[in-house]
Formats: sequence, C-alpha cells, structure tokens
Amino acid sequence: MSTHAQTSVGRDAADIPFMDSARLARLASLSRGELESLQLRKLRHQLARLHVSSGYYRRRMNAAGLAPDAIGSLDAFCKSFPLSSKADFLADQTEHAPFGDRLGISRSDVALVNMTGGTSGQGQEIYGRSQRDVHMQGYYHALPWFLAGLRPGDIAVNCVPSGGLTTGGWGPGEGLRIIGATAFHVGGTLSTDAKIDLMLRIGEVNFIYASTNYLHTLTEALLRRGLEPKRAFPTLRTLFIAAEGYPIEWAQRIETLWGCRLQEGYGSTQCAGFGASTCADGAITRAGGRGLMHMFEWETLFEVLHPTTLEPVASGETGELVVTNLAIEGSPVIRFRTGDSARFISYRDTAAGRAWNAIECGTVGRFDDMLKIRGNNVWPSAIDAAVFSYGEVAEYAGRVYTSADGKTEIEMRLALTDAAAAMEPAARERIIEAIRATIKERTNLWMVLTQCQRSELPEFSYKARRWKDERQQGYRL
Amino acid sequence: MRNAKEVADPTARDHATLSRMLADADTLCGTQDALMAGQYRFLRGRIAALLALATPVDSAESAP
Repeated sequence: MSTHAQTSVGRDAADIPFMDSARLARLASLSRGELESLQLRKLRHQLARLHVSSGYYRRRMNAAGLAPDAIGSLDAFCKSFPLSSKADFLADQTEHAPFGDRLGISRSDVALVNMTGGTSGQGQEIYGRSQRDVHMQGYYHALPWFLAGLRPGDIAVNCVPSGGLTTGGWGPGEGLRIIGATAFHVGGTLSTDAKIDLMLRIGEVNFIYASTNYLHTLTEALLRRGLEPKRAFPTLRTLFIAAEGYPIEWAQRIETLWGCRLQEGYGSTQCAGFGASTCADGAITRAGGRGLMHMFEWETLFEVLHPTTLEPVASGETGELVVTNLAIEGSPVIRFRTGDSARFISYRDTAAGRAWNAIECGTVGRFDDMLKIRGNNVWPSAIDAAVFSYGEVAEYAGRVYTSADGKTEIEMRLALTDAAAAMEPAARERIIEAIRATIKERTNLWMVLTQCQRSELPEFSYKARRWKDERQQGYRL
Repeated sequence: MRNAKEVADPTARDHATLSRMLADADTLCGTQDALMAGQYRFLRGRIAALLALATPVDSAESAP
C-alpha cells in the first residue's frame, strides 16, 4: 500500500494534489489573466505550426484572413477562427484519405491511430497521433487521476475495455503507467464476477476507473454476493467515473456503500483524453449538490457556446462545448463543435480559488439526440436507417433503461406493416432477427425486440421522437 | 554544467535537463540502425512531451 494515506494526515483532501506537485500548485495559483496569456502563447505556437503543416487549417486561416502571429487575443481568435464539425472532418478525410489534410504531422510520424465509434451513421473521424501525443494522451488521463488521489505504487483497477481504435482504449493504460500505478486492466476481458474475484485476491485496491453504468453494475454484483464494498475494499480511496449522467442520490449512495469519494472526468477523443475533472472535490458537494469538473484550460481551450447564436453562455447556463487542442500535434482540433451540452460555471463562481472555469458534474449530455449506451455513441438516425431498411416495418419505439439488476437494457417495440403482420409467425420471427442483427452491425449494440400493434405506437406529426432514456430513474441501489 | 538559475529553480533545472535530453535524443534518431530507429523516436516523443509539460508556466517559450 502506498504511503499516501499516512502523509495526508492533517491535510485537506482538496489541497493535497497541489501540495504534492509544485507544477500543479503553480497552475492553481495563476490569475485568470496569467492563464489566458499562457493559452494565447500556446495557441499562437499551435496555429503557426498548423499554418505550415496542415492544409486544412491553413485554408481556414487564409479564408478568415488570419495570420497566426497576428492573433492579438483569445477573444479575437474565438470571434474569427471558423468552427469545425464532424461533417467537416469527414469531408476532409474523404478528400485526403485516410487522415485528412488536417493531420498536421508527417504520415510516417503517426504512432497511434484513434477513431470515433462510427455509430452516428455519418462516418468515423480518424485521428493520427505522434509518439509525443501518445504520452500527452496518457498525461490527460494521469492528470485527473493524480488530482483524484492516485499515486505511484497504488493499485488501480481499470474497468474500461483496453486497446482497439478508441482513445479511451489506450489513454488509461498510458496514464496509469505515467503515474507509476500498478494497473489491472480488467475491462472487457473478465466477467463482473471474475473481476470481483480478482479484486478480492488483490486485496489492497486503491483506485477504480469505470463508466458510470459499469460502476453501478459492479456495485450491484458485490451487493448480490453479500459483500459490502467498503468492507471488501477498505483501502480504496477513489472511484473515478466518466461517460454517462446520473442522479445525485445515486452518487451519494455509491459514496456511502464504498466509503470513499466519487470523482468524475469529462473527456473525448477530440480532447485526446480528459479535459476536465472534479480534482479532489468530489462529484457531489459536502452540501449534497452537484460538484464541478474544473477544466484543464492550459492544455485545452474550452468555449461554451449557445448552440444557435454561437455566443458564449453566461455562468450557470447550458451551452455546447467547443474545444481547441493547445498541445496535441497529430490531428489536433481547433474550435471543434463537440455537440456535447454542459452547464458552464465561471471560475468566479466555483469557490475553488483557482482561475479554472468549470462544468457541472453528472449532467453532460448532447444537443443532438445521441445516446451514450454501454460506451457506444448511438444516434437514433442510425437505428432508423437500420430498422427502416426493412420494408416490413411500419413504426417502432425504443427505450433505454436500467434493469433491476443494474444493467443498461435496450428495448425496441416494432410494429410491422399489415402485409408483414399477416405472415406466418416463423417468417415474422426471421424478419425481426434480421433487423436485430442489422442494428447490431450498425450500432454495436444488441437490443431486445418485441412485436406490437401499430396502434400501440405514437404517430409523429413533426420530428420523430422514438427513443426514451429512462436510465436516470433506474440508478437505484 | 548548471547555471545559477537552474540550481535555484527546480522547474528551470528540469526544463534545462529535458532540453539537453531532447538534443541527445535527436542525435540518436539519426541512427542508420532500422531496429533502433523506431525505439529512439519513441524515446524522443516521450522526452518532447515531458519537455512541454515541464516548461515553466511563465516562460515566453510555452509552446506545445
């Protein structure tokens, strides 16, 4: 076991990371003006580099009449640099396969390829990362975990599946190595019961990283086995979650059951890892309200904009996160519209004493109708395309919910056309199975499909709202 | 040889050390040994990232 617990005696938990790292202490001490000066210096360097190395960004700068060294302020940058979207990146990749003209480094310097999930139905963004970026992606995982209490020598259990093509598959492993933690990458390789068996054999687990939903599943499984988490793992200091929203009551219950703080991070492929986290403050406040994720703004420039007017929202309002990488060199994003909605909290209102802006915990969502299900980004339009590729389907409705045993379930009720409904039961069953397989192929998700009457499903007179997300109601322990 | 500022300021010292290491890694990357070349580039990438992360916050050279 690390000595962290002993050395933390007499220190306020929220202050510990800043006492343990002089660099973090310096970043925490920056005034807002100093932080923005640092951002501007890094931004100018990034843009000057991309003006030379990236045709995509050079064209955008030239079209806007921007010279990298003539950008006088962050405000001028935010007002004049064109936004990019997923569609822009996909078009760039089509024209300049495979990485697009935005790559910004030599193709031969690409050491890691990351892709987005491809479940939007639009296509997958491709990111080519350099050797230097691989370390930076690790750092963007290590940083929030260090802030949350992880230290060299600690035992960490990573429940998120490793490897593959996603940033989330590679960043955690790098991050845990960078910190010097002893990591067990159990995600995607062991059943939940097998994970628990292993964790019990390990004994002194200090840190667990999991999606919100998987932490729920793990907790449920422990309770079913008659194990009280805080007694089974008394050395655990930190639970760290990401990816999905949750009710406050669930977070409180989790902290009670596990006997330690619940911390949260906001991250994405576009951020190259985590761009914000609760630090050591917790996903819920001592007073029982939602906590804040403080942005690592010296690494990633965040804007929170009204999705229609594209004006910055005021503190306390919800807007769309727009991100700019200040330190990533391979496939960097510059003013990229994430589509993620978040409640913005100005640094002035955080009470943390730092000049870092923040977003609210547990409520990051989407401005489009994308659903995050079991780690997959799923757009209803992609499901529509799969389902309605079968002429036998008249209408459908779906819901995502948390089952009694804590698992995320997806239920779809299908109404067939009159002609298809009149077919033999075996023929109808074959159609439904084929639809199910097509959905799996397009979204990576198996769903439970049941047949119903057309009259049982709603009529959509304007925009179809076929999906209901009932997971928040389901997080009950 | 460390200068007085490096001795007095650990951040400046670390940055100077990493700068020298990056120059050495660049030299290694010039190898004609194809087996070692990728490993030296791996090493150089790690040093370059650490150099960026260890750059003094107040430095005019706060480049990515």
